[in-house]
Amino acid sequence: MEGAGAMGGISLTGQKVIRAGLIGNPNCGKTTLFNACTGANLKVANWPGVTVEKKEGQAAWQGREFRLTDLPGVYSLASYTMEEQVSKEFFQSGAVDVVVDVADASSLERNLYLTLQLLELGKPVVLALNMMDLVRERGLEIDLLLLSRLLGIPCVAISARERTGLDMLFYAMSCYQEYETPSPPVRKNHAPQRAENVSAEVNYPVIEDIMLQVVKGREKDMAAAPKTGPEAEHGQPDRTDRMDRYLTGKWLGLPIFLGIMVMVFFLTFAVGGWLKGYFETALELVSRETGFLLETWKVSPMLQSLIVDGIISGVGGILTFLPNIFILFLALGYLEDSGYMARAAFVMDDLMSRVGLSGKAFLPLLLGFGCSVPAIMASRTLENRRDRLKTILITPFMSCSARLPVYVLFSSMFFGKYAMAACYSMYLTGILTAGVTAWVLFKLDSSGTDHMLLIELPDYKAPDAKSIMLYVREKVKDYLSKAGTVIFLASIVMWLILNFGAEGYVTDMSRSFGAAIGRQAAPVFEPVGLGYWQIIVALISGIAAKEVVVSSCGVLFGIQNITAAGGMADFARVLGEMGFGIPNACALMTFCLLYVPCTAAIAAIRRETESKKLTAAFVLFQTAAAWIVSFIAYHGARAWMI
Amino acid sequence: MRLKEGRDHHVYEVENMHLEPGLERRMGALGLTKGTRVEILNNQKEGAVIVKFRGTRFALGRKIADRILIREAAQ
Repeated sequence: MEGAGAMGGISLTGQKVIRAGLIGNPNCGKTTLFNACTGANLKVANWPGVTVEKKEGQAAWQGREFRLTDLPGVYSLASYTMEEQVSKEFFQSGAVDVVVDVADASSLERNLYLTLQLLELGKPVVLALNMMDLVRERGLEIDLLLLSRLLGIPCVAISARERTGLDMLFYAMSCYQEYETPSPPVRKNHAPQRAENVSAEVNYPVIEDIMLQVVKGREKDMAAAPKTGPEAEHGQPDRTDRMDRYLTGKWLGLPIFLGIMVMVFFLTFAVGGWLKGYFETALELVSRETGFLLETWKVSPMLQSLIVDGIISGVGGILTFLPNIFILFLALGYLEDSGYMARAAFVMDDLMSRVGLSGKAFLPLLLGFGCSVPAIMASRTLENRRDRLKTILITPFMSCSARLPVYVLFSSMFFGKYAMAACYSMYLTGILTAGVTAWVLFKLDSSGTDHMLLIELPDYKAPDAKSIMLYVREKVKDYLSKAGTVIFLASIVMWLILNFGAEGYVTDMSRSFGAAIGRQAAPVFEPVGLGYWQIIVALISGIAAKEVVVSSCGVLFGIQNITAAGGMADFARVLGEMGFGIPNACALMTFCLLYVPCTAAIAAIRRETESKKLTAAFVLFQTAAAWIVSFIAYHGARAWMI
Repeated sequence: MRLKEGRDHHVYEVENMHLEPGLERRMGALGLTKGTRVEILNNQKEGAVIVKFRGTRFALGRKIADRILIREAAQ
């Protein structure tokens, strides 16, 4: 099913490339179908001007080439949401030869609403009925021939997961030129109007009528799950409802959710952390060997430093987090594909509503504990722009995994056996700050989407390995591309600031521009116990990437192996001599938690908000919040120690 | 009565909806219109409620469920 691309609209065999647009309800298996047809020849981008994803892929079947476009899941074409608008425009633009309507056969009634609207487009439509196996499990049968006749379009039964029916589907697509322009059943009963303007109250009775004729073995009761076959006699709810009793139960729902989250983080930090160790060793190796190589090639010390201390250290630091990122997305992809995430939104809705957000906002915040970059991008699932902006603003407060080294270092040095507790308290502080911020914004502008949750809870299903791997691959690629570009540049800039001063290239960092900036800024940081230029420069270096703060401390204070026991002891001594004690450590960790996120995150904020002004405002707010909360932490700690 | 006042595992019929026009049309696209039969699956929380109509389960926030009026459905 996979094939090479074609140039222009003509394939290598001289025939026209068939352009198909895949559309359907969310959770109908459309993307699984798309993945099954196109394999890895996938291109993901955004529709121009909007943050809606566009996926294109190629496929080949019996000598014909196909270009498939996977459109976002929509319930109708009426343009109430960006996804609907983008889809409608795509079909009207003429860039498509055949519309493939992917419908979930087990929710056929609702899926047909979109079908009726697609029939209005004046383009050939093929209906692909997915998940027929679920229908059969319920003891039902769908008369495809009759359905096809009633709708006036070809209907093909497929199973995207089992990859059956695909031949038939490709055949149906390839015959698109032979189909008459579809004429929706609605027209027969009413004056000609565009189906999407005809209200649901008109369309659904038509659909109900079709369902009655086409679905065999179902009760007239449309609302409840079809009660047929053995289930009917025992009145048993289906498997999904049974599982929901626990997963969304009044008392069990939240604990189960928290338990699942703990597991996800255990996997991400513990397992990921273990793998990360290997990546770190590899990085050290690369760093050393490159250093040797550059020495033997007699490369100038300055260039050596740029390459080893600047680029390799900066970009490498990001790469060592790959195991964590990979595992995090694997776990979340699994949860999403199984259908659980929607339940989590339901369970979290009450808490989220208290701060003016809908339950769906929990996902970006959750992702923020791994890395702010994908978390900020995940805010796209929120339909309301205000919600999205609010979520993007507070997501960086969720302590990302890159900040952990800072906590570990300073809490080990200053808190002894309470080090773990100190680390956890950072996470809590982050959550609290995010909550307070959201709450204050909610009070100022009560047009929040609290208690306005609207989300479909799909049937639970065993996750599809291929879909998950493609999803993880996409997210990892995103993460890496951020590393490759933004971090790369930022590492160079940081290196320049820290290795160049008024005298030019300097080997003593205290004479660099960075140090000068640090000294200038020191008075501002005095009140929060951070008035040391080295600390400030380390924090500035953290703008490139948070992991860099620790290594910068090593460089700035002249400590080798700062994360080893001996190094830590040295560091603690040096800091002690400077008057830097526990309250200062509290302030530093808190400041690190809340201030400006890394440049990759800033770039993500810029992309998702589509506004330089907002990005600057957000970053300033986060830094101000960092200052205020650090102030509280510093003086609070001092007061407590007296 | 309001949808938020319904009881678990009971089937009701939608009598009326007082949602803002955009939301009402979206609900319409999902299949919730006057006369649609709705089964309540989980109304135990103070916030969102889980319902099922036209074969699909949805979680609806309280502010939405409060503005959908229902009556007992003929069994």
